[in-house]
Amino acid sequence: MDFEPSPDRIVGTARVPAEPRAAAPPVPVKIIVAGGFGVGKTTTVGAISEISPLTTEAEMTLASLGIDDPGQASQKTTTTIAMDFGCVTIDRTLKLYLFGTPGQSRFAFMWDHLIRGALGALVVVDTNRIDDCYPAVDYFERAKVPFVVGVNMFDGQLGYQLDEVRWALAVRDDVPVVSYDARVRTSVRDALLVVLDRALDRAVTMQAQ
Amino acid sequence: MTYPPDPDDPAPPAGAGVRPFLHTSSPWGYQPEPAFPPAGPPPGEETTTLRPFVITAGRVSGPDAEIGLETQVTARPGAMMSRLSPEKRAILALCAEPLSVAEISARLGLHLGVTRILVGDLRADGHLDVHVLDNDFPDPQTIMRVIRGLRAIS
Repeated sequence: MDFEPSPDRIVGTARVPAEPRAAAPPVPVKIIVAGGFGVGKTTTVGAISEISPLTTEAEMTLASLGIDDPGQASQKTTTTIAMDFGCVTIDRTLKLYLFGTPGQSRFAFMWDHLIRGALGALVVVDTNRIDDCYPAVDYFERAKVPFVVGVNMFDGQLGYQLDEVRWALAVRDDVPVVSYDARVRTSVRDALLVVLDRALDRAVTMQAQ
Repeated sequence: MTYPPDPDDPAPPAGAGVRPFLHTSSPWGYQPEPAFPPAGPPPGEETTTLRPFVITAGRVSGPDAEIGLETQVTARPGAMMSRLSPEKRAILALCAEPLSVAEISARLGLHLGVTRILVGDLRADGHLDVHVLDNDFPDPQTIMRVIRGLRAIS
């Protein structure tokens, strides 16, 4: 076996910039893009991000949240999931990050670390598999994060009326249900603006208290 | 040219380091059965990367709960890089300009939890600055600026 000291390992695609310069870091804000597998989260992030979406791996705690067995201690396990993200530079001192998080399983939404400080969330819905988004809706309702249900129009078509989607999800009346096209930048922008509107409402309420 | 095995000959040793009774055709007839599947990734999935706990020296939880995904990180100029691990050096090299923890993780191909621990280490050792926000939730003025910025996108 070869135990010779190896030279420096190449770590990813790290590259030393020509000259380091001290720039003031921008203030980061983030919006979560959540939903089931293949509903268009990465497309949504990629449509508006100024960089092509990057992927990072993270631990997610799977916990049964007391849904099936209230009163019993929930059994937690962790799993590694891939998360896509992108960003939009608002100006030199403000940068918006978009994190696309999976939520396939009913129990896979114990990710308090991710939502800490988040402005709000866009829950992406595919009307063909509407139950895929239940965990996300449950989670954000519980965590009191402002969220908007965004029905992704595949091929520019809306399978069901928004009222029907709202009825199926049983979300509160103050949760907006909007339709958008995840491939179109301006459409994603408008959906995010609805999220920001909700975030602004919450921030003003919090400041008044 | 090969000869048929002589039944009187003892089994030839498998190699210098192998104890004779572990050899499959040993005279005691001992056949060790693997109790567990062989360790390591299955054939074809070997990687050259280290397991995450090696990079973090065994730790699994980050020292700084305030290091978030979007938290901005900058390297301090003149950090002594020579005694650091390759991963830490790579982080410092990336953060000459402000960069988020999530971007560091993605660009270096490091697990997010590992990145957070290493960034926390580098911060504790004074190699980089972690720009922690004062308030947990953005104020209305900041949100208004985001709204105006997004509206400008066409």
